[in-house]
Amino acid sequence: MLTRRQLLWTGAGIGLAGVLAACGNGGQTGPAAVSASGSAAEQPRTGGTLRVGALGRVSAVTRDPHGTQTNESDYLIISLLYDTLTVPGETTNTAPRLAGAWKASEDLKTWRFTIADGASFHDGTPVTAEDVVWSLKRLRATPAGASRLPGIQPSGITAEDAKTVVLVSDYPNADLPLLTRLTTFVLKKDTKDDALATAPGTGPFKLDWFRDGNARLVRNENWYGGKVFLDAIEVRIFESPQAMANALLAGQIDVASNVGAVAARTAESRPDIQILRRPNDMAMPIVMRTADGPFADPRIREALRLAVDREAMVKQVLSGYGTVANDVLGTGDPAYAKDLPQRTRDLAKAKSLLAEAGFDLSKTYDLVTTEDISGLAESATLFATQVGEAGVKINVVKQDSAVFWDKTWLKAPLYTTYWGTNDSVVFFASKTMLSDAGQNESGWKEPSFDEAYREAMATADAAKRSEALRKLQQIEYEKSGYLLWGMADGIDLAGSAVRGLPKLPGYGRVQLEKAWLAR
Amino acid sequence: MWSGAETRVDGKPRADGEARSAEKPRFVLIAGHVVWSALRRLAVLAVLLGVVFAAVELLPGDAASSTSERGESAADLAARRTALGLDRPLAERFWDWMTALPTGDLGTSARGEPVTRLLAGPFPNTLLLGGLALAVSLAGALALGSWAALRPGGRTDRGIAVVATMAFALPEFVVAIALLLVLSLRLGWLPAVTLIGSDGAPASWSMLLLPLLALAVPQIGWNTRIVRAALADQAALPHVSAAIIDGLPRHRILTHHLLPGALPAIAVGVATSAGMLLGGAVVVETLFNYPGVGAVLAGAIADRDTPVVAGVVAATGGAISVVLLLADLVRARTVGVRL
Repeated sequence: MLTRRQLLWTGAGIGLAGVLAACGNGGQTGPAAVSASGSAAEQPRTGGTLRVGALGRVSAVTRDPHGTQTNESDYLIISLLYDTLTVPGETTNTAPRLAGAWKASEDLKTWRFTIADGASFHDGTPVTAEDVVWSLKRLRATPAGASRLPGIQPSGITAEDAKTVVLVSDYPNADLPLLTRLTTFVLKKDTKDDALATAPGTGPFKLDWFRDGNARLVRNENWYGGKVFLDAIEVRIFESPQAMANALLAGQIDVASNVGAVAARTAESRPDIQILRRPNDMAMPIVMRTADGPFADPRIREALRLAVDREAMVKQVLSGYGTVANDVLGTGDPAYAKDLPQRTRDLAKAKSLLAEAGFDLSKTYDLVTTEDISGLAESATLFATQVGEAGVKINVVKQDSAVFWDKTWLKAPLYTTYWGTNDSVVFFASKTMLSDAGQNESGWKEPSFDEAYREAMATADAAKRSEALRKLQQIEYEKSGYLLWGMADGIDLAGSAVRGLPKLPGYGRVQLEKAWLAR
Repeated sequence: MWSGAETRVDGKPRADGEARSAEKPRFVLIAGHVVWSALRRLAVLAVLLGVVFAAVELLPGDAASSTSERGESAADLAARRTALGLDRPLAERFWDWMTALPTGDLGTSARGEPVTRLLAGPFPNTLLLGGLALAVSLAGALALGSWAALRPGGRTDRGIAVVATMAFALPEFVVAIALLLVLSLRLGWLPAVTLIGSDGAPASWSMLLLPLLALAVPQIGWNTRIVRAALADQAALPHVSAAIIDGLPRHRILTHHLLPGALPAIAVGVATSAGMLLGGAVVVETLFNYPGVGAVLAGAIADRDTPVVAGVVAATGGAISVVLLLADLVRARTVGVRL
């Protein structure tokens, strides 16, 4: 999906935050009740301009909906202007957007998407299947196109009639609609590359102006997706979460999107600031190489999973803004196996497993990490201390981001990684754990896992499918190369009048079409 | 202030005949000197740009991998490397970039944007902030330095000396955070960050104040010390003592006898400030979200985006060179040219 780099700057602000934390209007009670994501019986009000801060670098600004959006600010703007076929949902992984409905063939290879009723571009022309086909082919032709639309060849994207788009997969894929979330922005057919800056979208907001990563967007009165309350949204680009938090504290913006735990701590003493936690936002697992090297024996990986103190990791690394995890990726998925027994610390068992597997405790092992995101290097250091109590000597090596992704990722025996996408069990399975996955981070080849995956993908029946997914997660839980100790919350700060903000983790945070202002 | 022409360094009024005969060759000498310094500064800038190219090359990784997406294959990466010209020798890329420079072409970023377009909004913003900070530093330093110099050895003089030294010793980010906490987050008098309007410039002038102060305070400290010292040197000269004995008013002694002679030293101090200001601007811009070249530069280095880094260096280096050249000119006019 999107890249690792959009999170680079979250680490940058930590140093100064301590200073700022001292600046609260001391003595007040805790944060305001979380009303921004709105359960209250308040009637939404129309009008007002919502000023949203989002992280980004001016040097990396892009306007291309199918480009590499490293800036959260760019992605936010694009998501408000353009629509994808489907979006992340609250009760299901995949909710309708520009595609109002979809249906699979018997063999789950051919999928028909029907364009939502009344969907039109900002210039008034209706959206046709031709527009969608052209846009998907454009997306497929980008450098990362093959991984953005996995299993779909350009020739497999066709229009059946004016309102129906057909996608043909190389293999049965029950989760194909899920793949069309987040990336499948639809432009008008034959939009020129140099006209992208003004190309009309279909989204809930229309572009008023754009300048150096900042934008003002105004309500699309004719949006097919429902009533939009805000008159306008102003997106402001911030290089550092620190400056973004300050802007919010000083009342210059209404929402600081994905600003992080450090800013949340600063804001805890301000009763007029809402702290919004979106659980299951970011995974920061430790990868233990399974293919070869010192951690190839599953008993050793099990021992490390038992040696880590998950509660302490969440408390110290995430400042408590997170939840304990159970080594299975995709924790926000409704299909996530909550019934797998929660692993807890058991040093005695860890030691006996290490002894049984003949692990060499006299050696020191490198754990490679980066400072790409806030807390990542800290997680490595704390992990090293914790497994030290089981007798495993770990030396934490911090690498420059560019070196890490070039030399260490997918290769080293022990390293930290992170995934900031709101994604499913199936996403992680297909991207990082199948034997032939392009980003198989631990070099894991497990035929029974591949088999469980294929079974899940080829099953249309919901009950049978969830059974297959349960089996897949069981295998992942027992044997994979991941040690997932916890999940970080996504944290937004908002002014007291803001309502209706998104609750979803990951890129679900850009869904601002239901936001409104109580003032 | 620019009174160097009417007063010679020894402070005596110039004899008429001497002035007339010296006028033309003096002008030619100064013009020659300026051209010569300009060429020298250009050469330094060219060498600096070469160092920038080499330095980005030495950093681990390259623009193709730094701007890639998880999931791009090795073949895609190689294709991008070729498209960006990264497979060509460094010297060749440098030569191409340098030869395009005189036409105003700063190349294309790794993300496909013309560098001139990337800098079109941010660079004028940085010039505005840096220029204002320089002016405020100079004005503040002249006022404080003169005030101290008029009361040599007194309490005011000593007090100003201590405060100036402390101000210069403070890094910009410490000043910035202190100002931010007090003036914005605590008192609510000034905006905490700079936001731009649809024209790319700060939406309100009040947004400039905090970054301006954060940059100017350390430089006022630095330049006050220089102004004070230069005035003290001048005060020790015989013509100044003569003026004092003649009973001229103190402000007249300051403006007509002390400052003119002190100008070259002050000009050099201010020129040094220009460099330090632009360095500090990178930090201050980040803290206040000021839309200048600092953010562009930081991002470009992270992306290993050589044309953007070099473009920023060329633009800011050019601006600093102009200030240094002006300082040269002041010195040349005041103390004469030594070739």
